[in-house]
Amino acid sequence: MAILEIRHLSKYFGGLAANSDVSFEVPERSIVGLIGPNGAGKTTLFNCITGYEAPSKGEVVFQGRRLNGLKPDRVCRLGMVRTWQKVRPLRNLSVLDNVVVGALCRTNSVREAREIAHRQLAVVRLDQKASILAGALSIGDRKKLEMARALATRPKLLLLDEVMGGLNPAESEEIIQLILEIKNQGLTQIVIEHDMKAIMRLSDAVVVLNSGEKLAEGSPEEIVHDQRVIEAYLGAEP
Amino acid sequence: MTPDSNAVYRARRISLASLTLAIGVLFLLPLFVESTYVLHLMILIFINTITGSSWNILGGYTGQYSVGHAAYFGAGAYTTMILLQYRHIAPWYGIWAGVVAALVTALIIGSICFRLRGPYFVLASIAVAEIFRVSVLNLKNITNGAEGILITEIPPLSSGGILITDWDSKVPFYFTGLVFALLVILVSWRVGRSKLGYYFQAIREDQDAAHSLGINPTIYKNIALSISAIFTSLAGSLYAVYVGFIDPGSVLSVELSVQIVMIGIIGGVGTILGPVVGAALLVPLSEGLRSNAIANLLIRAGIVDPESRAGAFLKENLGHAHVLIYGILVVIVILFMPEGLVGFVRRAVARRASR
Repeated sequence: MAILEIRHLSKYFGGLAANSDVSFEVPERSIVGLIGPNGAGKTTLFNCITGYEAPSKGEVVFQGRRLNGLKPDRVCRLGMVRTWQKVRPLRNLSVLDNVVVGALCRTNSVREAREIAHRQLAVVRLDQKASILAGALSIGDRKKLEMARALATRPKLLLLDEVMGGLNPAESEEIIQLILEIKNQGLTQIVIEHDMKAIMRLSDAVVVLNSGEKLAEGSPEEIVHDQRVIEAYLGAEP
Repeated sequence: MTPDSNAVYRARRISLASLTLAIGVLFLLPLFVESTYVLHLMILIFINTITGSSWNILGGYTGQYSVGHAAYFGAGAYTTMILLQYRHIAPWYGIWAGVVAALVTALIIGSICFRLRGPYFVLASIAVAEIFRVSVLNLKNITNGAEGILITEIPPLSSGGILITDWDSKVPFYFTGLVFALLVILVSWRVGRSKLGYYFQAIREDQDAAHSLGINPTIYKNIALSISAIFTSLAGSLYAVYVGFIDPGSVLSVELSVQIVMIGIIGGVGTILGPVVGAALLVPLSEGLRSNAIANLLIRAGIVDPESRAGAFLKENLGHAHVLIYGILVVIVILFMPEGLVGFVRRAVARRASR
């Protein structure tokens, strides 16, 4: 069963096609890796899926429901939430309160939201830093906070936009373990990442974007041996 | 119980006790203070506390720096005064009509201005409030235009045949102001600890991130504005009936909007106590400057000789310069205490505690 279907999605900014005719499916409980060179349209695709941009053409279907034009808050309440490539902590709130804001998506009780937030911080191992201001966190911790906050909204599908960007190998490894842990709990994830090793380890399927178009789709093994993908990343041999 | 939570518990008890004491003193004050000038100052402080706290819910918590709050102040003031003077409806009914008028105003302004963010929102809030002022100025058959409305009498308030007050002294206004001010502080406190408060702050910190976490920014900004407008309108109505005269220049001006913002910023944006501190400092300061109290004080303290040229100059001109001095003080606070007085003191205390 596909939890998310992208059907012939195009997004134009004036004459520029940031995405053109992209189609793929995300099976339930899987991790789909989304890769492509800079400017391939990965983040625009995320924006179209989560409601920050309306697709110019095509459809986004989540659990059988057409989402086009639905705003991000509605999309989140339906069970799909994203993190940001450039992290967006609520700086002047404590780490705990950041996650409480996410948890309030499913409850009106602040007390209950705080309990959920405490548990979620333990999952990403930020519970020791619950009371410090989010603005004071290191980049690695900020990425974890983004994940905890998104998870606190109890999503069915989590979209991670370069959560490992800018992290050192040890921190990346921690995030990889976290993503696998989340998968085991039954969550579906779409992961944008540049680190091919991480993508190979995490993904059940990989979608490659290039200049806004879907270049290839397949298992990680198929993708790394795909001639078109190699050309897109390294350039064609003369 | 850990010693740490014990200390927190004790600190909470101390602050609760001092709060109760402060409120008690404020309620008993008119029994001991005969000076009408002191009562007048206190009423002005209450009114400014109400407007500052109301603004703080929208500006401080939600991060929407409205510089058009005179519109809600004026909506309350004009509705109450028109009903009182031309329809003979007592103000304690009129103020609720004023609240409704302010809410309608808020929804109109919100639907226009909340499409914009940051400085564009600020400019739009000024512009829309100005449209209201100019409209009131020109709708002469309803509002009496630039001449304003002067009330001739306030009907006495009685309940079950017993006269409660006939409004002939400042005391009833004092208590009305005090109750309204306590009410808005209570609401601010309650909102700050609720889901609403979290959502307001999330929008202030990062609207896009808030949006992705299931928060509809437009709805929650309008809720913040509505709460803010309700209490600003109460302050406007109270001011109007207390002073007994309003015109567009006094209750709908940009100066008033700016003054409302200043109370929040100087006291401390996003704190419950900030607007109280802001009002308690700025009202006596601006009244003192206006009545030339500072020049008189300098002369009386012997710092300046009234016969000298400098003394004569100060005595002559310092009273007129109150807006200038007020402005300089505001600049100093913004430069050196960007978090306002409450934030500054809190930080200083935290620094001493951590040393």
